[in-house]
Amino acid sequence: MHMGIEVVIFAIKLFLVFNIIMGLASFCTWVERKGSALIQDRVGANRAGAYFDFNLDIVRGFPSFLRPLGAPVTYALLLPVVTGIKIAGQLGIINTLLNDAVKALFKEDFVPDGVSNFMHSLAPFLAVLPVFVAFAILPFAPEFTVLGTVVRPQLAPIDVGILFFLAMGSVAVYGVALAGWTGNNKYSLLGALRASAQMISYELAMGISVVTIIIFYGTPDLFKIVELQEGSILQWGVFRNIGTGLIAMIAFFIAGMAETKRAPFDLPESESELVAGYFTEYSGMKFLIFWLGEFAEIALFSFVMVLLFFGGWHIPFVHLPAGVWWVALIGHGVLMAKVLFFCVLQIVIRWTLPRFRYDQLMNLGWKFLLPLSMVNLVIAAAWELSK
Amino acid sequence: MVAFAILSVILLVSALGVLFFHNPLHSALSLITNMMGIAAMFALLDAHFLATVQIIVYAGAVMVLVVFVLMLLNIKEEGPRKTTRLFVLSCFVAGGLFMYFGVPIMYNAFAQFPAFNPNFNGSMQTLGKELYTNYIFPFEAASVLIMAAVAGAVMLAKRKFR
Repeated sequence: MHMGIEVVIFAIKLFLVFNIIMGLASFCTWVERKGSALIQDRVGANRAGAYFDFNLDIVRGFPSFLRPLGAPVTYALLLPVVTGIKIAGQLGIINTLLNDAVKALFKEDFVPDGVSNFMHSLAPFLAVLPVFVAFAILPFAPEFTVLGTVVRPQLAPIDVGILFFLAMGSVAVYGVALAGWTGNNKYSLLGALRASAQMISYELAMGISVVTIIIFYGTPDLFKIVELQEGSILQWGVFRNIGTGLIAMIAFFIAGMAETKRAPFDLPESESELVAGYFTEYSGMKFLIFWLGEFAEIALFSFVMVLLFFGGWHIPFVHLPAGVWWVALIGHGVLMAKVLFFCVLQIVIRWTLPRFRYDQLMNLGWKFLLPLSMVNLVIAAAWELSK
Repeated sequence: MVAFAILSVILLVSALGVLFFHNPLHSALSLITNMMGIAAMFALLDAHFLATVQIIVYAGAVMVLVVFVLMLLNIKEEGPRKTTRLFVLSCFVAGGLFMYFGVPIMYNAFAQFPAFNPNFNGSMQTLGKELYTNYIFPFEAASVLIMAAVAGAVMLAKRKFR
């Protein structure tokens, strides 16, 4: 009986985490499409949706079981639906969530000559899988009790916590490298080389800023880190230890943007030099899977940022009773609002800043970010010891 | 137990793949699979920290460099290897010598380490405490060795300034 409850709870958690990933990824896709249009003063995606004029003729053409209700009632029933579809179409929601996916599914799946089909198909999944797996360690709401069992909204409560996120980040290189290699052309290979060099370089700064946070809270367990950020806003990771938290946050954010390989760090796929970089030779659904991975990565980094530096599900100066289900619900809402903010911020940065030159990228990583985060780590550790 | 059996098969197959693939990049991918399998093995033993570090260091850092270099050098696929009788014989001799000398050495080396702490549970905290108390000398010696390797690599890379 007890075992059964645990299995059910785990299944629900799995379902929720998967929905969080897909929800955040689709939200990012939509913001990327429509938000970029907003930034660039375009109209953006608005061509999919309901495009009929809503008049009585069409109401008469609707299913016969509605006819006895009479035209006014049918009109009132159908108006919200049709208006909803129209608005969703105007906002580009239908375009980004439905049309893109369907279009990609029906495109020709192209595999370059002289390449193993298996390896070519493996690469996009290798690029996405680590990102999805990393979500397993992220807590997405405070603990609560239901039916006498304490539920911890986290798929894998392992004690290494945040280190697992770093491990998955370092494994994500392989999908990109393999994609570039199976592309069997020079642009793909160059893109893959750039991507792997960039990801290796920025991993260090990211790891060290994560260590700074581990020093602040004395544990790598994400759940405990978030629990320790309750109360005043000064408990948040950003505001800890005389500004070292802020510097660690900045280093983490820059490194995170570089890891997701998006502008201003999008050298691996810079279209003016390398066509599309490592995924030049990918089409259809495999291409879309790369994009899914990229957006899931944005969501992952925003998620980890909020958990480490911005108080997770806590509202500053507000103390909510622990262990109640509605508090967990509120906490989840607060957490998601913060995550969405950072997702949007990353997309806005992507559409605002121009691309770095390659030497600038490497200098920023090795000569600025790494020494900065190392000095920052030493100062943070000294301050923590002196307290 | 089932997980262990499946993992063992994956580990053995991928280890053989490293040896027998003709394409060096396929061999490297096979080695990555093997490293991840070892990490999963650690995770099965509840040593989550070791598993994570195995992924970060071996699968994440070492093998990325190997793949990177393989892609840069663009090594072509090898043809079928010529196995002469002498080659097979020398393999057996080398393997036999390794077993004869290496196994007792390793056995004695591990016997000399401080006794295993029964309270050890594989968590990060206990591992850290063990490393900084009982095993402080091997730990620091290893870090000195790694430091020497890093210095050597820098010297090799900067040869023109000598």
